[in-house]
Amino acid sequence: MKRLKNAHFGQWIDPSQTVQFTFEGELIRGLEGDTVASALLANDQWLQSRSFKYHRPRGPLTLSGHDANTLVQTPTTPNLLADRLPAEDHLTVTAQNYTGSLHFDLSRLLDWCGRFLPVGFYYKAFFKPRGIWAWWEPIVRKAAGLGSSNLSVKAAYNDKTYAFADVAVIGAGPAGLNAALLAANAGAQVTLVEQEPHLGGSMNYHAFAGDCETTKSARDILVAAVETHENIDVLSSSTCNAWFGDHYLPIIQKSRLIKLRAKQTILTTGSSEQHVVFRNNDLPGVVMCSALDRLMRLYGVVPSAPVVVLAGNDLAYRTAFSGQDGGANVAAIVDLRTTCNNTALSDEAKRRNIALFQGCGIYEAKKGLFNHGLSQVDVHKLAERGEVAEKLVSIDCGLLAMSAGFMPSYQLACQAGAVLSYDDSKSQFKLSNLPQGMHLAGSVNSVFSLDLVEADGRNAARQALSNLGVAPESETASAEDVNCTEQVNHPWPFLKHPKGREFVDFDEDLQIKDIINATRMGYRDIQLVKRFSTVGMGPSQGRHSALPTARLVAKTTDRTVHETGVTTARPPLMPEPLGLLAGRRFHPLRRTPLHHRHLALGAQMMPAGSWQRPAYFGDPKQRTACVQAEVTAVRRGVGIIDVSTLGGIELRGPDAPEFMNRLYTFGFVKQPIGKTRYAVLTNEQGVVADDGVAARLGEHHYYVTATSSGVDRVYRDMLRWNAQWRLDLDIANVTSAFSAINVAGPLSRQVIESAGCSVDLSTEHFPYLAYQEASVAGIPARMMRVGFVGELGYELHVPSPLMGELWDRLLTSGEAHGIRPFGIEAQRLLRLEKGHIIVGQDTDGMTQPDEVSLRWAISSKKPFFVGSKSVDILSKSPLKRQLVGFELDATSPQPKEGHLVIRNGDIVGSVTSCEYSPTLKKIIGLAYVHPEDAVSGTTVVIRTDDAVHAHAQVVETPFYDPDNLRQAL
Amino acid sequence: MSAHLDPIFESPLGGLSHEGNISIHDLTKRHRWGLRGKGAAETLRIQGWDIPEQPNRLVASKNETFVMALSQREFWVLDPHNDTAALAMSNDFTRDAYPLFCQSSHAWLVLKGCQTSALMAKVCGVDLRPEAFKVGDVAQTQMALISCIIVRHELAGNDVFSIFVDQSYGEYVLEALLDARREFL
Repeated sequence: MKRLKNAHFGQWIDPSQTVQFTFEGELIRGLEGDTVASALLANDQWLQSRSFKYHRPRGPLTLSGHDANTLVQTPTTPNLLADRLPAEDHLTVTAQNYTGSLHFDLSRLLDWCGRFLPVGFYYKAFFKPRGIWAWWEPIVRKAAGLGSSNLSVKAAYNDKTYAFADVAVIGAGPAGLNAALLAANAGAQVTLVEQEPHLGGSMNYHAFAGDCETTKSARDILVAAVETHENIDVLSSSTCNAWFGDHYLPIIQKSRLIKLRAKQTILTTGSSEQHVVFRNNDLPGVVMCSALDRLMRLYGVVPSAPVVVLAGNDLAYRTAFSGQDGGANVAAIVDLRTTCNNTALSDEAKRRNIALFQGCGIYEAKKGLFNHGLSQVDVHKLAERGEVAEKLVSIDCGLLAMSAGFMPSYQLACQAGAVLSYDDSKSQFKLSNLPQGMHLAGSVNSVFSLDLVEADGRNAARQALSNLGVAPESETASAEDVNCTEQVNHPWPFLKHPKGREFVDFDEDLQIKDIINATRMGYRDIQLVKRFSTVGMGPSQGRHSALPTARLVAKTTDRTVHETGVTTARPPLMPEPLGLLAGRRFHPLRRTPLHHRHLALGAQMMPAGSWQRPAYFGDPKQRTACVQAEVTAVRRGVGIIDVSTLGGIELRGPDAPEFMNRLYTFGFVKQPIGKTRYAVLTNEQGVVADDGVAARLGEHHYYVTATSSGVDRVYRDMLRWNAQWRLDLDIANVTSAFSAINVAGPLSRQVIESAGCSVDLSTEHFPYLAYQEASVAGIPARMMRVGFVGELGYELHVPSPLMGELWDRLLTSGEAHGIRPFGIEAQRLLRLEKGHIIVGQDTDGMTQPDEVSLRWAISSKKPFFVGSKSVDILSKSPLKRQLVGFELDATSPQPKEGHLVIRNGDIVGSVTSCEYSPTLKKIIGLAYVHPEDAVSGTTVVIRTDDAVHAHAQVVETPFYDPDNLRQAL
Repeated sequence: MSAHLDPIFESPLGGLSHEGNISIHDLTKRHRWGLRGKGAAETLRIQGWDIPEQPNRLVASKNETFVMALSQREFWVLDPHNDTAALAMSNDFTRDAYPLFCQSSHAWLVLKGCQTSALMAKVCGVDLRPEAFKVGDVAQTQMALISCIIVRHELAGNDVFSIFVDQSYGEYVLEALLDARREFL
């Protein structure tokens, strides 16, 4: 085919710049501005894909990305539309869905076996005999008609952004441009969304009633005004893919998802041209009239073979004339009607020496002997509606452009609840019942002549402005009269052929007989026809099949199209990549003030909830040795651990003691100032929800710790409870305000003393479980004597910005004492040796205090605490399980967390913690066992990996230092 | 780094923040403090601070400071020109006004430039365009999946966003902002 470039043809291409890409391994030369499809057509490559079911050869149908005939694949991405994919240098494009090659597809055999694949055959196959689906599934999946994902490709960078507008205008054709301009001139903030890379819509390619020059100059003025308007945000190459409540519009712009919130939405989405249903209407070379317009006017591709136009309306004549103006050899116009609405058009056809066949149709399109494309059409006289009479002539041609009418692009409106109705007498659609703030204009509103389309756009903007309470500029304030009487839809564009292959739905390879047979099987409802036949369920989502299907169903069920209706439109409008929905990958991770110091010390970090924490320090290849060395340092010398992730909640006010007393299980009203107390929290069901340490700082002041992962929930519960109790106190989550470290081990006191401490750290003055405020290394600190790891230890809580300095000072002063930082793996082992539970690890969503031996932490003297009633009730029932300590020889298979405890063949519990203890030289752990087994010396069976049973012995806890002497040093 | 910047902006992060049309600054170490409680507003008034008349607003107050109201009973005093942070334990309080820990608990980032609203639209769902989010407006919302406080105000003659996030998320938020800013460079 030759290329044309002037003011009216080839508008989007730049002949001075060529691009080269490969398609099916062959080098294709195109021009800058081409899509892959247009470049292929310019190289006479009409065959671009294979159909879904019958593997029939297919080529572009709409050239606007509205059909599945151009689905292709690149090495990174499947299912791209060649008529949307820009042709670029070095692009590698392949076709999809074939066996062998695109030209010699072995699966084409299925087309000859079509009679064995009737509509709904998959409902009747694949499931008998039982289990056969496993055999069929890979075959069916491979034949699904789509491309294959390349799983080795690194995910593309997708992101999302939010946007806001007073008015969103969807579609930048003549209606959209006028609407946007009028609204913006009145001061509204407008976002204009256009699927194509250039604004103008049908003004770019369609020859309206006026001459091309008039349309072009009108378009240029509009586009320039819009693009330079400061109140208009133009989003080109963008698709509004759905409508959600309150005008929330997801807009896809390349690799970005824009979430637009508009106050008003004007849909100027245009309409989808409809095809004529005749035998072999799917051959490559059979296209919509608008596709021929686009091919020539946008891309300057001039068909070299003769062109036939199959008209169901007057607009098709303009395509024929436009094509001839561009140099195409238009051999004939075949009009399904007996006369034109505008007789001047038939006169014009005669003047142009274009053969005109009125009251005729194409009965069959035929492919060439040596190619897959169109080579000839048979023109038959039409008798009554749907009846084909005698053959008039066969016309040799390489391209057939057809137009049976237009269906509004109704999807977005219907997603918003609009109702699409059909006037059978005029063969015209109407959208009604629009939601508040939505407006229609242009051909989606069944208005087709250019001046009326533009006026309709302005009217829609006036309505939107009125809803916004914004007055339009005075000279454009008055609504214009828009009364479009032009009939564009042919009432019955079907030419049934005894040999079939008249396609209603190109995506799903559905013919006239398939739809009729579906209704004969009892599926009278259009929705059931859709589900049974899959009509409209392909990538085109019924743009071209919905109307012919409705007409066929209506006829075979003796109803009108209005009564039959069309299938439901649901989001998304177009296929959208999942990566786009995922967007940028936000992974919120919290870092303590010591994060970079840990890394500098060789920490191996691990996630702990939302935090990053050191698992251990040292070479990962020496993990076990590192952890054991850290444990040994704490047991024999001194270690230091970052516990900044520990939750911290500040309770201040006259009612703080009463609040603590009501919330936690222990008694807190009489807790001495300067003392800490273990604090267990149960929920209303009596389940252990969290724990921590409560320090009383003053008469009306508590500082309570909570688990790292539970503090947000605890804080939320505190606020919720006090919203009911109305106690006089302030509750503040100070987890981030204070960071904390634990200096633990027999030498910890010396380390802190040598760093400089303002208080006496001796046991007499600062005993176990005491609290003091002090200056450590010159830094103000809240100090607690704690024993979580079972050694003499001090927890130091300081304002977070000062933590780095304190850490450095303590490491320096501890150097002489062999201080060693340790991570949470060592900490977990150390606390396990002490038999301390971790809420969330050794408890679950059902754990009651008695199961984990926390009865001692519950005050029996208090009248109430959260969950007290449930705890009382539960304590009166026999326990069903109990958490115990167990031990195994070092040579035994080591159970893991979650391994099951088996008793007489039944599961009675599971392991919650288990480690090898280098201190005790054996495997120790905690597990839920049957209450009768919770006696020291009992043997319980734990099923470990590979179903190997380990026979563990129940022992008393703590495993280490049972008399608690070391932590009280 | 731009030579015309006021001293307040001379703390760009990571040497990257002054590229392109948007600069990002770390004011985490600048002084701020807060009060919460039924007597917080009155306490501040007595001390001579100008306070917003309604929550989620910020006003300029004495000595080039700002007072931000997060609720009827919670106020932060922002002192961007003062790098003497107060890191007291806040143990002194009355039943009507409790000191807050905002100096230690939150990181303070400032975005300056002509496209900050567009950048923020990539990480935050609130309409932060100047016509919708005016100088003095405060949004307690989410950005990049975490809780934050966003304020539009003037600082050293510039229209800026101040962003307050939990200090443990400070680096994460900065990384998210730098990533979002790449297209504006």
